Amino acid sequence: MAYAAGVDVGSTQTKAVIVDETGAIVARSLTATGANVIQAAQTAFEEALNEAGLEEREVEYVVGTGYGRYKVTFGNTQVTEISCHGRGAVHMFPDTRTVVDMGGQDTKAIRVSAEGEIIDFCMNDKCAAGTGRFLGAASSALDIPLDELGPTALKGERPVKISTTCTVFAESEVLSWLGKGKKIQDILLGVHQSIAARSAGLLRRVGIEDQVTFTGGVAKNTAMVETLNQRLGLEVNVSDESHYMGALGAALFALDHVLVSRQPAGRGEEVAS
Amino acid sequence: MMERSLIPELQGGSLEDLLWSARELLEDDSFPTVARWREGGGKVVGHFQVYFPEEIAHAAGALPFRMRGAPVEPLQSDSRFGSYLCSILKTSLEVALTGRVELDLFVTHPICDAARNLAGIFGRNFDYPCQILYLPQNANSAHAPTYLRGEYDRLKRTVEEATGAMVTDEGLRGSIAVYNRNRALLRELYAMKRDTPWLVSADEAYVLMALGGMMRREDHNVVLETALDLLRGREVPRPDRIRVVYEGGFCEQPPLDLIRAVARSCYVVDDDLLIGMRWILGDVPEAGDPLLNLATAYLEDSSYSPVQHDNRKPKEKMLLKRIRESGADAAIVTAAKMCEPGLEEQVAYTRALDEAKVPYFVSEFEENMTSFDHLEIQLETFVENLMFD
Repeated sequence: MAYAAGVDVGSTQTKAVIVDETGAIVARSLTATGANVIQAAQTAFEEALNEAGLEEREVEYVVGTGYGRYKVTFGNTQVTEISCHGRGAVHMFPDTRTVVDMGGQDTKAIRVSAEGEIIDFCMNDKCAAGTGRFLGAASSALDIPLDELGPTALKGERPVKISTTCTVFAESEVLSWLGKGKKIQDILLGVHQSIAARSAGLLRRVGIEDQVTFTGGVAKNTAMVETLNQRLGLEVNVSDESHYMGALGAALFALDHVLVSRQPAGRGEEVAS
Repeated sequence: MMERSLIPELQGGSLEDLLWSARELLEDDSFPTVARWREGGGKVVGHFQVYFPEEIAHAAGALPFRMRGAPVEPLQSDSRFGSYLCSILKTSLEVALTGRVELDLFVTHPICDAARNLAGIFGRNFDYPCQILYLPQNANSAHAPTYLRGEYDRLKRTVEEATGAMVTDEGLRGSIAVYNRNRALLRELYAMKRDTPWLVSADEAYVLMALGGMMRREDHNVVLETALDLLRGREVPRPDRIRVVYEGGFCEQPPLDLIRAVARSCYVVDDDLLIGMRWILGDVPEAGDPLLNLATAYLEDSSYSPVQHDNRKPKEKMLLKRIRESGADAAIVTAAKMCEPGLEEQVAYTRALDEAKVPYFVSEFEENMTSFDHLEIQLETFVENLMFD
């Protein structure tokens, strides 16, 4: 059995996925990125190897992705997270034509072909509004753990309007609503709606085509999924592996390489490098 | 004319030494080559982007200094401009206000409303003459060469007053010869980028070219001759990369690190960076009336940019021609933030590229950018998509 791996070094978390030669996930791991990016990549990969019960030499090709893709020092090559999220999303949901990847520091809207090739993409490039960091600011201002933000927001009935476009000022705005006596769940629902609106704006720039798949760590947030559905007027695909979608896409690119390199070269033909 | 060398750092040594020193000189915001020229008693004629007939200042024995902004914080100039203006205006004024460069004459052009007003702003802040050189609005008029010759004659008299040196026809012909040689060397550098792009990266070529804006061109010619010889003998791998044309660097310049980031993913086989230095495409005739020859070459044997309007050179068609002639696979269409001419042209460029089915990548830049992570991710994805096709 051949194995390939993808390591996605994100701004807050590093993920590793190992796939077998059929493309099935055999192991996954997640670790905080922290300050030592090289170590985070190594740790995530080793933890995935342990979960799979594999030796490093058994993994034939490794692709690094994410903002720290060049820090995957043991990897064979790098592919950007935009390509990897597109590839991973189409692998999990073959009818995917649009991907929204919401990570810690940025949100990306990606339009893909049936083969997972990128047709168009755009990302927030000026500030962290509309990203996971925006939720982090709200979590900090309201003193609520990140994993409780979604369930709390879903209890909201009269969402406030978050008007600021800046993550730093958003924290002040949240505090201002608290000062006015608004309920925490209503404030949080407003925060989620604000992020959904910005993400929908990004998606419209690339063109929204059904089906839409939601990837990245923020896809675990139930309120984010719900508000995005409402905003887009459709049900986005969310996989249990959404958090690992970038690493999965990287592993699939790595698997491509493994499979191509196993094909016998024809006469006068070289194996792709 | 001053004949001493002002660039000891660029003499001798290996190619890597030369490139490293060239980059250091280019990024030094105290502009050492200009300072040394003045310390030796030389006069400096500062001119704003895009095109300026440097031969006229050169013939007066002055150092023509291309004011292309600088990676400095516009602390003083911010109070003299609105926040909605491009960065190069502010930093060009900043380097003068802070004494980083001292001029004897400043010339700008009406390439956009903001640039035209630079002469007035400089004039209120400095005692030396500050002028506008009015390049023809209508490049297609039969009277354009005669008109421009008259403007160049006016400029010549201004230069003479500012430098205290006469500009003779003989002196002008000598300067034209120096600049013809410079243009020929830059054409060689660009041919290398086009034909053997692994020998010289986009950022290396840029550094070598840009130095010409801050030193006498006879010195720059020596630098280019040396560098080209060394580059031809370079033994480097030939990685598989897509070939792109970079468009949008005609006035404000992208940071060197941005050009380097692009070069990590692509071979930049042609571009419009500092296009004013390569505006005239061939040799300017040395015989005859030198001012008329310069004026005619500006109009009849020249490149294109969003700030020159010539019906014979529709910009989008010129871009497609540049892509075709350089054998590029794709285009990177950029514009400086707040640059009206550049941003306006993006619309025509992208429409033409769509029709011609040429893949392209659109972005904006600012000379003071320091983070390129987002740009690199997007550019690499664009490249991956083309490579995986």
